[in-house]
Amino acid sequence: MDLKYVGKTYIRPDAISKVTGKAIYLDDIRLPDMLHAVVLRPKYAHARIKKVDTAEAEKCPGVYKVVTGAGCKFRYGDNIKDLQPMAVDKVRYIGDPVAAVIADTPAHARAAVEKIVVDYEPLPVYTDAREAIKPGAALIHEGHEKYWRLPTLHETADSNIANTYHLHKGRGEEGFDEAEVIIEEEFNYPLGSCAAIEPHGTIVWFKEDRTIEVWSTSICPFIIREDLANSYGVPVGDVRVHTPDLGGCFGYKSDITTEQTIAWIASFAPGRPVKWVASREEDFTSTLLAHGIRTRMKMGAKKDGTLVALKSTIYHTGGAYADTAVNVTIASTHNSTGPYEFKHCDLTGYTVYTNTPAVGAYRGYGHQESQIATERMMDLMARKLGMDALALRKKNFLSEGKVNAVGETMWKHNGNLLECATRVEKMLFSKPKPAEDADYVYGRSMVTVMKSPKGAPFSTKGCYMKMNVDGSVTINMGGAEVGQGLRTIIRQIAGEALKIAPERVRVYTEIDTQYSPYEWQTIGSMFTTQGGRAIIRAADKLITLLKNTAAQVLKTDVDYLEYEGDYVILRNDPTIRVATAELARGYITDDGITIGDLAQSVSDARLPRYSNPDKNGQGSIGVTYTMGAQAVELRIEKKTGKILVDHFYSVFDVGQVINPLQIRGSVLGGVTMAIGAALYEEVVFDAEGHITNPQLFKYHLPTYKESVEQTIEFVETPDPIGPFGARGIGEHSVIGAAPAILNAIYDAIGVDLFEIPATPEKVKKALEARKEPK
Amino acid sequence: MAEKMTFKINGLDRTVEIEPEMMLIDLLRDELNLTGTKRGCDNSTCGTCVVVLNGKAVKSCNTLASKAAGADVITVEGLASGMELHPIQKAIAESGAVQCGFCTPGIVMELYGLLETNPEAGETEMTNALNKHLCRCTGYEPIRDGALIAQKMMKEHAKAK
Ligand code: FES
Ligand code: FES
Repeated sequence: MDLKYVGKTYIRPDAISKVTGKAIYLDDIRLPDMLHAVVLRPKYAHARIKKVDTAEAEKCPGVYKVVTGAGCKFRYGDNIKDLQPMAVDKVRYIGDPVAAVIADTPAHARAAVEKIVVDYEPLPVYTDAREAIKPGAALIHEGHEKYWRLPTLHETADSNIANTYHLHKGRGEEGFDEAEVIIEEEFNYPLGSCAAIEPHGTIVWFKEDRTIEVWSTSICPFIIREDLANSYGVPVGDVRVHTPDLGGCFGYKSDITTEQTIAWIASFAPGRPVKWVASREEDFTSTLLAHGIRTRMKMGAKKDGTLVALKSTIYHTGGAYADTAVNVTIASTHNSTGPYEFKHCDLTGYTVYTNTPAVGAYRGYGHQESQIATERMMDLMARKLGMDALALRKKNFLSEGKVNAVGETMWKHNGNLLECATRVEKMLFSKPKPAEDADYVYGRSMVTVMKSPKGAPFSTKGCYMKMNVDGSVTINMGGAEVGQGLRTIIRQIAGEALKIAPERVRVYTEIDTQYSPYEWQTIGSMFTTQGGRAIIRAADKLITLLKNTAAQVLKTDVDYLEYEGDYVILRNDPTIRVATAELARGYITDDGITIGDLAQSVSDARLPRYSNPDKNGQGSIGVTYTMGAQAVELRIEKKTGKILVDHFYSVFDVGQVINPLQIRGSVLGGVTMAIGAALYEEVVFDAEGHITNPQLFKYHLPTYKESVEQTIEFVETPDPIGPFGARGIGEHSVIGAAPAILNAIYDAIGVDLFEIPATPEKVKKALEARKEPK
Repeated sequence: MAEKMTFKINGLDRTVEIEPEMMLIDLLRDELNLTGTKRGCDNSTCGTCVVVLNGKAVKSCNTLASKAAGADVITVEGLASGMELHPIQKAIAESGAVQCGFCTPGIVMELYGLLETNPEAGETEMTNALNKHLCRCTGYEPIRDGALIAQKMMKEHAKAK
């Protein structure tokens, strides 16, 4: 393909506002007569509320109102309506909102909140799915079988199981009778946090005209709009939601997080905007957490290395409310095959209620959590078979003609994983591994990974495009810019499609449901794919419209015309032409009579034939995949057990690179996050369900000094869905680090680890148990 | 008790009323509406709030506002002159160091504090300075690239003068 603007580096249009400090994030918004809310969090992670005494708090200076959950009648949730905006009769995790103070300043609200007295009756606390799932465990949601839920979900009454997803392929577990070698192990990807540097925040304003206006650190303003309209009984159009600039998302600013709670609070201060911004501690304790997935995996193969059967059982510590966790579990379950074909699959995922913050999306959405198991198992299986681990992988790749777990046939255009793997193999093994020295022992390993989007079949992305009188173009969409750089690629894709320079494409700077085209939410690495397709559709419509007007101007038939960016020309005599700019608001003829439509168009794009799962848990539920290979070179400091990553390699088949600088940045950041999860990060709970490390000085994010040298390359096998052949890549880079690091630890010291983070203490212990790797 | 305090903010003299326990970040953001300085944590860990006080990069979340009395404070809003960006801003914008941008003002000010006083800062100084900032988006490589480009641009500017 001959591309002019796609495939080149352009600087993001929001870079200037961000380096000058002028970008407006949620906490930077000041509204007239604004009040501030502070929320009271419980002492116990699971307890009945016997009494809330607000009398003292009400007397404090600056207090406008003290709010409790008393009288709240509604539940909400997109998948399971198990959420309430504020605790009514019990608290289920340590960040559950119990009460709140609205005051003139945050300091006044904070002081008053301390004066609220709550009488609790503590209940048993479960911070791990394995405990909560035991028969006889106290119920976290009594009667949860009565909650509304999507018809595709299946709860277990009188238990803490919020949902069970099951996938059956081939003969399921019976298929293991075809296997000659069977292995089984259990792996853990513990709870973590997206920990964007900007914490969550929300402003809600119930207005006297019965409209509701909201600003939130959210990538799903349209969901918030529908949800609040439903809860407060107003037409959807009467709720207006803004998304300002966002200081990172990584998943936990998707779905409804804190908005319903702040709306409930603000509903007690009608006429006044009420603002709440999470402290860093609350960002950990009271917004969405990540992962919490334990995978038991059984894998069967023939002696020649042909994989035949896979059984995965996933226990998901879903948190106190399962609405946001349930789809993470499902994605984790059906993607637990990794990029390999298994003839028979028996895959089960349990989303379990626990007394921990609700788990929600985190970049990778369930894939890294179960593929840590798959990729470790591939190495274990290779060892058992006496085969090279990479050869085993290559033999079983989901390549052309293979059928994945959900029953979709793979095509050449799903990507060339073999090429990715071969390139990484060369990078990693072209030089010998350093020999052990006095201080360090060295290891290296490579893995292969895949990811599908996991969204909703109706999920679409709208695009509004208008051409201005000078031929420049303005584009409005509903995609949330969280830092991933979608504003830049909109310009490039539109420029390419309309044959004009990207600099002449102006892109929206905020989302406002009053003006923005509908978008379900900006998730699943799907903006480039779906949003890009929507841009191409809008551009095609715009070009048709311009040609229709030009046909009248040039007194000919539409199909004799060519659109060339600046001009529409007559194909057989290009000197007969009209400037596109002159067609923008219709064409004004010499006597002023104007002909033709205004140059504007609207479009949207879903994934093709994306469906719900059928009774076997299968269906067209992946649709588009990105695959790749990743590898690590590391050293273990013998004295301390500390792991130092010397180099990390990633090669993904992304179909078409849109912007080389941005795509490298995306992978650099994703790999860094994943190394953080693999080596340092874990949200830790004590037995009472308190988080012991809800601060950035305790929850260890990778620092500048810990950043890792990376080699990043891309294979480009064009995709038939995305624009100009591009595929999603936003999340995929986070999948390989954890298993690659654990496999490399084995390579170094011959000890198998089954969970992350691989902290110095754990590695030190492993060093003591050291064996020669086989 | 509120007290009057005079200081220079982004080149202009200002007199403000401050409470004794008020932090510099609150003065900047809430009283002076200079919202370019960000708050990303509760315990002085993230570096998003860094401003330059008397030529030194400091965390405004753990600096008392009263420390600014008589001092010269520069925030991210004070770097560009009109439409002309400071070389650090230019370099950081172009190196890919900006994704979500929430860590950006703090990093820009850190580099300003470092490079304006020590144009020859070596790798150790640069690394120690940037290690005070958390970035969840970029993996840091583009920040290092931006910092090095900025240093080069600033040296060239100095030579041209
Ligand atoms: S706000 Fe995090 S260091 Fe100041
Ligand atoms: S660019 Fe997002 S935190 Fe640094």
